[in-house]
Amino acid sequence: MTLRRTWRRACVPAAIAVALVLAGCSTRAPEPGAGGGAGEVATDVGVSADTVTLGVLTDTSGPFRNLGTGITQGNQLWADELNARGGVCGRRIALEIADSGYKADTATTVYRQQQPNVLGYLQLLGSPINAALRGNLETDEVTSLALSWSSFILDNPYQIIPGTTYDLEMINGLAYMQQQGLIADGDTLGHIYIGGEYGDNGFLGAQYYAQQHGMTLQPAKIAATDTDMTNIVTGFQGAGVKAILLTTSPAQTASALNAANALGLNVPVLGNNPVFDPATNLAGPAAASVGNLYVVASSVPYSADVPKAKEVQEAFEAKNPDAGKNYGVPYGYAGGLIWEQILVRACENGDLTRKGVHDAFLASQGITTEDLVASELDFSKAGSPPSRSVYIAQADPAQEGGLRQVVPPFTAPEAESYKAPHEQGA
Amino acid sequence: MSEVITAVRAPAAPAPRSRRGSALRALAWAALLLVLLVLPLYVGPGLLSAGQYVMVGAVGAIGLTLVIGQAGLLSLAHAFFLLVGGTSYAVLAGETEQAGSEYIVGLGLPPLLALVGAVVISALAGLAFAPVAGRLKGIYLGVASLALVFLGFYLGQALPMLTGGAASGRNPEPFSLFGFSFSNEGYLAVLGVPFRQSERLWYLFLAFTVIAFVLARGAVRSRVGRAWRGVRDNEAAAAVMGVNVLRAKAGAFAVSAAYAGLSGVMVTLWLGLLKPDESEFGTYGLNTSIAFLAMAIIGGLGSIAGAVVGALIVYGTPQVLTLFADELGLGDTLAGLSPNVISLYVYGLAVILVVLFEPGGLAAIGRRIAGFATRRLHPDGTAATAPRSAPPGEDRS
Repeated sequence: MTLRRTWRRACVPAAIAVALVLAGCSTRAPEPGAGGGAGEVATDVGVSADTVTLGVLTDTSGPFRNLGTGITQGNQLWADELNARGGVCGRRIALEIADSGYKADTATTVYRQQQPNVLGYLQLLGSPINAALRGNLETDEVTSLALSWSSFILDNPYQIIPGTTYDLEMINGLAYMQQQGLIADGDTLGHIYIGGEYGDNGFLGAQYYAQQHGMTLQPAKIAATDTDMTNIVTGFQGAGVKAILLTTSPAQTASALNAANALGLNVPVLGNNPVFDPATNLAGPAAASVGNLYVVASSVPYSADVPKAKEVQEAFEAKNPDAGKNYGVPYGYAGGLIWEQILVRACENGDLTRKGVHDAFLASQGITTEDLVASELDFSKAGSPPSRSVYIAQADPAQEGGLRQVVPPFTAPEAESYKAPHEQGA
Repeated sequence: MSEVITAVRAPAAPAPRSRRGSALRALAWAALLLVLLVLPLYVGPGLLSAGQYVMVGAVGAIGLTLVIGQAGLLSLAHAFFLLVGGTSYAVLAGETEQAGSEYIVGLGLPPLLALVGAVVISALAGLAFAPVAGRLKGIYLGVASLALVFLGFYLGQALPMLTGGAASGRNPEPFSLFGFSFSNEGYLAVLGVPFRQSERLWYLFLAFTVIAFVLARGAVRSRVGRAWRGVRDNEAAAAVMGVNVLRAKAGAFAVSAAYAGLSGVMVTLWLGLLKPDESEFGTYGLNTSIAFLAMAIIGGLGSIAGAVVGALIVYGTPQVLTLFADELGLGDTLAGLSPNVISLYVYGLAVILVVLFEPGGLAAIGRRIAGFATRRLHPDGTAATAPRSAPPGEDRS
């Protein structure tokens, strides 16, 4: 009796399990996405008869949340405008946006979920995330716009770098400072950089320039989470540096600038594009010491005197009046323009499949962004940075976005002759 | 922390089990296993990937719950052993080559051998810490073990020829068994569902988890487990009863490190990448050690099944919240309170609630529910033979 009852009870979970197996005899559909092609254009994943879906995997809760938010808003601005203009290839653009928090594990799962639905990535932010997904992008043939301007990742043909790499930023920035008479051959320079893809790449550029000009480089490798730069800057003062180079996070930039200010070390400071964030560097006491900072980037400063940038700025402020303003906004918009030209080319070839889009990308030479990025972009040379020009801006609390452009797009001769790590040929 | 550790002190005589109860349990486990086995036929790669990550956490958490809950040794070094395991696998299975900007070494061994090697190396690393573990207790041991995490952070960056460097890391050799590769290689379909990397890894990880689970239960129920609990409850008494205290402690650390090592290999396979951290808060950082600690605490220190449920909460929540952000109305990632942030609150809250209201963790709640259900079903007194609500720290899964 009790035994029978036991068996009956035991059968329940087993029965449920079996029912689960049998109930859905229609198992998972194969891969979704074989879109209804309109006939003349071949499509596979992420493209339907009326929509092209692009992924955005950004950081809105981690260390780069301000930048990530700005870029995503820029992306959205572009998509809305393009859709208002009638879309591309007779289809409107839809964005699938997700937050990784700058964590590779979260990003990996989100990617696996998004991948079957998107044609490619309009934004893939962060070097750990790009490193973690590198292999997947190749196997899945997903063309992605990587927001990691490191020339180390140029060996992956599926990653679009929308501009100039960190090493070239440093080279151009140093050349500019030398042209301005701020530094000279034989000087000693201090360089604080974060160990990893970002910092190592910036340091590579500084090393190259220092070798060319007989300068001595005082490297200080730090961790991304270090907060106090006082000791390092004190050491720089002792070494008699003529300039400080930064490949750091905005908070570290603020600490270095404050330390230099407190020590009376009045030298120019040069940083790669992620070193500066108006929300961090222009808030509170940090604003007082920011004056010596030059920021080198391939994107325009938020308030640059470039017609398209003005246009983006107006459209952005009309749409998001209370949002934070940083250079991510025009950069996000520029990323959209880059994708637009790749999509148009793929459409002309009659092939909006992933492979078709990738072929179109690899054949892209004269990609323009109406000067939102410092030069035309050339993606056709494997391993070579698509651009070697930069915008140079000086920190200025009076400007919207906190940066004042100081020269038109700038390319140093040393940047032309520099050979990036994965560059092929002579 | 020491409060939690003391809370686990409990008598540990296994209660008599009814045969019926055992049969029921076995069936329930079989049903659960069956569901897990057919899951890849029904759910997509996103959810599978989340599930695999939970299994990574489960294997590591089982190892940690053994050393903390059973042997009473607080370890915060788990993330370090993860790194040791992952790196060992990558080096043993990989090839010597120029990867990106780094020259990396590899021995090119078969993946299965490399996996076993990685687990053994992690265990040896745990054993090497035994002299410290034997001398310290409680929070002091915790802090001492924490040093290993920072050592790992330094070594990961300082030895790029092994780890591939913090810049881009190195891609580990995909796991393969008798020529069958757990990657996208080749075409395989079961009942019309294409079995690609997501599905294949699911079964591999499930096998690892089941093996880890069964071995841990075996250890806990055997002489080894009794020795650990003896050491945990009273070292002097354990020594009097013939337990070699130092050896038991060293053994617990080694076993826990071996589990963490396997978990590390799983992370590497799951990401398809071994990449040492750029900052102290990465894949092998302090945050990971704390996440594992949270799993062990939420699950109920010492309980193997509890550790698995703890992993489900701590590693599963962020993944699931992110995946279903739209459906749950967390859609606007730009609004600031993204799924990532919410999941941190969820598991932080879970730890607080457990520590405050149920130091025995989910395992104790589970036992209470089971006990309640049995009493309801057998009001005639058969409940006497049914499992009673056991004190925390004792595994009866």
